[in-house]
Amino acid sequence: MSSLDWWILGGTIALLVLYGLYKSRGTQSFDDYTLAGKSLPWYHVGLSVMATQASAITFLSAPGQGFADGMRFVQFYFGLPLAMVVLSITFVPIFHKLRVYTAYEFLENRFDGRVRSLTAGLFLLQRGLSTGVSIYAPSIILSTILGWNIYWTNLLMGGLVLLYAVWGGTKAISYTHLTQMLIVTVAMFIAGFLTVHKLPANMGFTDALRVAGKAGRLNLIDTTFDVKSRYNLWSGLIGGFFLQLSYFGTDQSQVGRYLTGETIKQSRMGLLMNGLLKVPMQFLILLVGVLVFVFYQFHESPVFFNQQEVVRLQAGPLAGDFRQLNQQHLTLSAQRREAVLALQRATTQHDDAATTLAGRRLEKADAALAKTHTAVADLVKRNNPAADKNDLNYVFLRFILDYLPHGLIGLLIAMIFISSMGSIAAAYSSLASTTVVDMYRRVWPNSTYDEVVVSRWSTIGWGVFCVVVAQFTNRIGSSLIETVNILGSLFYGVILGIFCVAFYVKSIGGRATFWAAVIAEAVVFICYYLDLMAFLWFNVVGCLLVVVLAWLFTRLWSQESSVRVSS
Amino acid sequence: MIPMNPPTETPLFGSWPLAYAVVIGALAVEIALFYGLMRWFA
Repeated sequence: MSSLDWWILGGTIALLVLYGLYKSRGTQSFDDYTLAGKSLPWYHVGLSVMATQASAITFLSAPGQGFADGMRFVQFYFGLPLAMVVLSITFVPIFHKLRVYTAYEFLENRFDGRVRSLTAGLFLLQRGLSTGVSIYAPSIILSTILGWNIYWTNLLMGGLVLLYAVWGGTKAISYTHLTQMLIVTVAMFIAGFLTVHKLPANMGFTDALRVAGKAGRLNLIDTTFDVKSRYNLWSGLIGGFFLQLSYFGTDQSQVGRYLTGETIKQSRMGLLMNGLLKVPMQFLILLVGVLVFVFYQFHESPVFFNQQEVVRLQAGPLAGDFRQLNQQHLTLSAQRREAVLALQRATTQHDDAATTLAGRRLEKADAALAKTHTAVADLVKRNNPAADKNDLNYVFLRFILDYLPHGLIGLLIAMIFISSMGSIAAAYSSLASTTVVDMYRRVWPNSTYDEVVVSRWSTIGWGVFCVVVAQFTNRIGSSLIETVNILGSLFYGVILGIFCVAFYVKSIGGRATFWAAVIAEAVVFICYYLDLMAFLWFNVVGCLLVVVLAWLFTRLWSQESSVRVSS
Repeated sequence: MIPMNPPTETPLFGSWPLAYAVVIGALAVEIALFYGLMRWFA
C-alpha cells in the first residue's frame, strides 16, 4: 500500500466515526441510546438493516466464492424478500404496538419469563460467537498486508469498534450505516468496472460472461431438490426463508435496527427496501468475483491465494512437492488460457462446433486446476497443521493489492473495514440491549443505576467476549461467510419456532414451548454433528420441531390433567 | 374539492398488498432473469 492508500484508509474510517459521533452528540436517554429515540425515516432504516447484514465477510468471502464456486451462492438470498413481506405483516406491527426494546420482551407477555430467558440466552450465545468471526474477518486483511500478529490485530479491531459503539449508541451506529452503504456501493462499482477494463482489449463484458458460463461460474439457478446440496433454488427459497425470517424477526441486531423507525410504516418500508435490493446487491458482489476469475484466465493466478502459507511451504521440508505442483498449475493455466482464446475465436466466427469443443477443453482444464489446488491445500495443511486450507477469503484481497490502482486500494480496504465496523457495532449494541433489558432488568428490577451507563459497561463486556472468540476463529478452516451462516442456522430455527408459536398458536403455553425448544435445539445439534443435511435445513427442522412438539406437549398435558380431574 | 392525501400509514406504492406484490414480483423476475442468463451463456 502506498501513502495515498494509507491516507484514504485512515481518513475514511476517521471521518465515518466522527460523523457518527457528531450526529449522536448530546445527552442520551435509554430510548435514544438503544433505539435512536424511534426517530428514523424508512430509507435510513432500510440502509441500516442492509449495512448490518453486509459485514466485511460479505466483501471478502462472496467474491472468493464467485471466483471458485460460481454464482450459485446468490440462491441463498431468495428467501429474503419473502421473509421481509411476512415480517412487515406480522412482526413489525406487534413489536411497535407493544413498544418493546427487544424482541424477547414480547415473549414474557405471551408466555413466561423462562421462555424469554431461554430465547434471549440462545441469541446472546449465537450472536456473541458470530460477532467474534466478524471481528476476525477484517483482521486477516491487516495481518496479511502488514504482517501483523493476527491476535493483536483482532484485539485492535474489536477495541476500535468498541470505543465508538460505547460512546455513540444506536444513533451513531445508524448514521455511520448510511455513509457506509454509500462508500461500499461506489467502491464495488469501481472495482467491477476496472476488472472488466483490465481484460484484454478484444474482450468485452459479454465475452467475459461467455468464458465464465463455459467454465461453470454462471451457475445461478439449480432446480434439483437435494437436501445435501448447500445451495439450490429450494434450499434458498425454503431454508433461506426460514433463516432470514429468524434473522430479521428474532435477532436483536436486526430488530433493533427496524425498531428505530418512527412509525410502523417507516419500519415496514425499510424492510421492503431491503427485500428489493438485497438479491441484486449480492448478485453484483458475486459477479465481481466471477469477473476476477475471468481476469485470471489472462494473468498468472497464484496457486494458493494465502501468500503467508505459500512462503512457509517454500521454506519448509515440502518445498520440493510444492514446486512440482506449482509447475503443474502453470502448465494447466496455460492450457486453460489457450482454451479461452480458442473459445473467443470460435464465438467471434460464430462457429458452434468449435465453441462447444473449446468450452469442453476449458471445463477440463478448469477441473484439473481445481484438483491441483486441492493438492496444494493439502500440502499447506501438512506443512502447517494450524493453517487454513481454504484460501477463498484471500482471493479478492490479493486481486485488489496486485492489480488495482493506488488510491482505490485504500478505498476498497476502507470499504472492508467500515462494513465490518458497521455490523460489529450493531451486534455489540444488540448484545448490550438484550443483556440490560432481558437479563439485568429481570434480575435487578429495582436497580437505581442509570441504564445508559449499565448499557455502556455491558457493551464493553461483550466486546471483550467477542474479541476472545475472534482469537480462536482462525482454526475453523472454512469460508467465513459460511461459518457465520452455519452458526446462525444452529440457533435461528429454534428461536423462530418459539416466535411462530407465540404469534400463530394462541392455545400453546410457556411450559410446552420451553421444553419443545430445548429438545429441538438438541436435535439440531445432533443433525449438525452427524452431518445429516445441508445447514440451511437446520432452520426448517428447528422451527417445525418447536411448533409440532409444543403442540404435542400441550395436548398430552391437557389430557393428563383432564384424566386427573375426572379421577 | 381537492381529494385528501391517503392516510400516512400507506406505503409509497399505494397500498400494502401492492407493495408486497412488488417485492415478490421483483424476486420472480430476478429468478427468471438469472435462469435466462445462465442458459444463454452456458
